[in-house]
Amino acid sequence: MSDRSIAIIGYYETKIELKSGRHVYDLAGEAMAGAIAHAGIDKSEINGFAVSSCFSDAGNPFYGPVLASYLGLELDWCQITDLGGASASGNVARAAAAIRTGMCDTVLVLAADAQSSENKGVIGAFRSEFQYPVGIMGPPGYFGLLSRRYDHQYGLDLKALGKLAVTQRNHALMNDKACEKLRRPLTVEEYLASPMISDPIRMLDCVMVCDGASALVVTTAARARELGARKMVHPIGYGERINHLETEQCPDITEVGHSIAGARAFKTAGLTPAQIQSFHPYDDFLIAIVLQLEQLGFCDIGCGCRFVMEHDLSYRGDLPLNTGGGQISAGQAGLAGGAHNLVEAVRQLFREAGERQVEQRHNAMVTGIGWIPYGRNWAASTALILEAAQ
Amino acid sequence: MSTPDPLAGQRPVPVPHNFTLPFWDGAQEGKLLLQYDPDAGKYQFYPRPISVFSGRRNLEWREASGKGTVYTYTVSHKAPPPLRHVTPFVVVTVELFEGVRIMTNLINCSLEEVRIGMPVRLAWVKAGDINFPVFEPD
Repeated sequence: MSDRSIAIIGYYETKIELKSGRHVYDLAGEAMAGAIAHAGIDKSEINGFAVSSCFSDAGNPFYGPVLASYLGLELDWCQITDLGGASASGNVARAAAAIRTGMCDTVLVLAADAQSSENKGVIGAFRSEFQYPVGIMGPPGYFGLLSRRYDHQYGLDLKALGKLAVTQRNHALMNDKACEKLRRPLTVEEYLASPMISDPIRMLDCVMVCDGASALVVTTAARARELGARKMVHPIGYGERINHLETEQCPDITEVGHSIAGARAFKTAGLTPAQIQSFHPYDDFLIAIVLQLEQLGFCDIGCGCRFVMEHDLSYRGDLPLNTGGGQISAGQAGLAGGAHNLVEAVRQLFREAGERQVEQRHNAMVTGIGWIPYGRNWAASTALILEAAQ
Repeated sequence: MSTPDPLAGQRPVPVPHNFTLPFWDGAQEGKLLLQYDPDAGKYQFYPRPISVFSGRRNLEWREASGKGTVYTYTVSHKAPPPLRHVTPFVVVTVELFEGVRIMTNLINCSLEEVRIGMPVRLAWVKAGDINFPVFEPD
């Protein structure tokens, strides 16, 4: 990817809303219209489509082409990615690969879901057999198991988690796309006092499921220049890891796939963690940010909480983090939630983040997390490094 | 508040797959059966249609000792709809001596008593008419 031949030339994010009552196709339509308008291109330029799977239309085995039909897209390449919150960042890499291999020229990367309004997802598998009978409270339960083990091995500093919650909330206050229900100030004390869901996971450790959509336009840098693109962002490094340590029956569950995905992303980009100027990690739970800081190499294993306490993670800080509020303070647009942090990173590199604009905007890192395997951490890990064109 | 089975009468019924039926047949006889790959010399759990070690289907069902330790746990203060009224209860990941982990519940154990590393042993509760494996302090 470090050849800088691929460019993101436009993006759009809808307002994130709780129980909007909108159909997922309607959210997708708004995201596409917004993205091509922002890129300043004609719809006919798009001949590739990479979409994230969703809960709202989950019973539809032809979701990709059906949605493309609703959007009036004639395509040479169509990809649906079902890596949950890792799908959006994964689709930027898939779009780049498809363009480079000549399958298409300009791709609409889209993620939409109205999970809080309509959820048709049935996961089944080991869940119906070995998970539901145990009564665990879904993802908060799994992250409760993970947090308890992390605390046992390394010690969990609740003040660091509280600082993450407050930092992201302050960013959401500056983001008018964030869910209104979450746009009120928060203190560390309020975080600590929030109700226990699955001890030690509190309510304010968790995302709130909402509705929303995002889209990006990806093409070649050469075509972007022909189209007169004013600004562009290059994906320069990417790594992905699915089912990390799957064959180990008793792995250390605090070791996550970002250790592999991150190393590949940094290697292809030719960068180190210390050179990353803003960090937009996938945040379904606050502890996930701590684990990613460690396993991507921003700090040593077991030192994530200390890193959080020692750094200013605000948009004005030394490592701005989830400057759009992250999903935890902006709302999780179902399985499209992984696009929120991605769009925010691109927005920052386009210098279009308004009052929360970061100063250092040459590069940014985005990550994705998807799905929860039996008794472990998460199944899909992605790491994407973006660079603003000079 | 030590309790035999906090989910008694409310426990969701497991939905087996054709290739996991030996596990549930064993459960009805009070045996915890694990898949064993004789080529790798290792057990695996949850049951699968193939050995995760070798990619071959050379798998045997062997009865586990039912002894292990608590790898991690969480206290559920919220639970999915059918179990909303039985909280709080403990969800635990048990590491068996055979080298696999099972996610389940602890019975006959108070919320305050549970610890990582705690020795536990197999017990059986009902999920509908099906025997479901849980653990209790050993």
